[in-house]
Amino acid sequence: MIRIAAVGDLHYGAGSQDILRPSLQHLPDRADLLLLAGDLTRCGGTEEVRVLADDLRGLSIPMVAVLGNHDYHADRQEEVRRVLEDIGVTVLEGEAVTLDIDGARIGIAGTKGFGGGFRGAHASDFGEPEMKAFVAHTKMLSDQLERALTDLEADLRIALLHYSPIETTLEGERLEIYPFLGSYLLAEAVDNAGADLILHGHAHHGTEKGRTPAGIPVRNVAQPVIRHAYNVYTLDARRQVMAAAGGVS
Amino acid sequence: MSERRADYLPEHIRESLIHDPRVAEQDLKVDVKEHRVLLGGNVATPQLRETITDVARELLPGYEIVNETTVVPATEPDGEEPVT
Repeated sequence: MIRIAAVGDLHYGAGSQDILRPSLQHLPDRADLLLLAGDLTRCGGTEEVRVLADDLRGLSIPMVAVLGNHDYHADRQEEVRRVLEDIGVTVLEGEAVTLDIDGARIGIAGTKGFGGGFRGAHASDFGEPEMKAFVAHTKMLSDQLERALTDLEADLRIALLHYSPIETTLEGERLEIYPFLGSYLLAEAVDNAGADLILHGHAHHGTEKGRTPAGIPVRNVAQPVIRHAYNVYTLDARRQVMAAAGGVS
Repeated sequence: MSERRADYLPEHIRESLIHDPRVAEQDLKVDVKEHRVLLGGNVATPQLRETITDVARELLPGYEIVNETTVVPATEPDGEEPVT
């Protein structure tokens, strides 16, 4: 069993010191890796991400992150990324990483993702340049995600996002803001490429569990949703491999 | 600048709280009734909760600020979920 700890939307800033640290002390006994689903800072400031880095520094399990919209706000996302990388966090922006955990290859493809909405009501790249740019950004990131997942050679494949790929995990949010919370294009990308689990954040008033149209489990790990320092999900790497080979129905 | 209509006041306060770097919370609910401001939603820390009250007071001096935001717990989870 591979144990995946995940959380998003920590929104670290001044005064966030030690929010996580007490709960992280036992994390290496409880999980094999930690995935961070974006919005790690309040305003994307390097001083903010350094507070988080101080809490995460020295954690003895692999850490993988995507950035969220808040992490872009100060236009210093590259610096935010570097601060995380300096303490050993792998930051994915349309990229993938493979980790060897207890002999199993765990592949993680990550992207911030973006909005647009969902089937029957998705924004179109039509009309004003601003509208075209909005939808083009989601399409570009979804295409990157599909390629990164497709190219992964792993026993387990996880898609790590900030924005939501499905509507189900948004339930509780106001319908009017769904187009700003996610896009079905992200789900389509993962359904095309295949994965064992999708993790996302961003929707603080949403719900934790859902599935893509192809049946891939989705978990909204926004901290206000899970109401813990992290949640732990277990996946059976051996079973997934057998299922892929037709050995498990 | 002309005095803003009261109908739009809650949205202007919400916007100000989003753009104030001390707060930067997009999920706060703001309601204004008479000279009373009601604030709701989730916040990460007790300190941020207090800051929100202070910033709201700066934005609307003379108004009563009722902060009903909730601090989200960040404790360890009880168990784990097998995902299939």
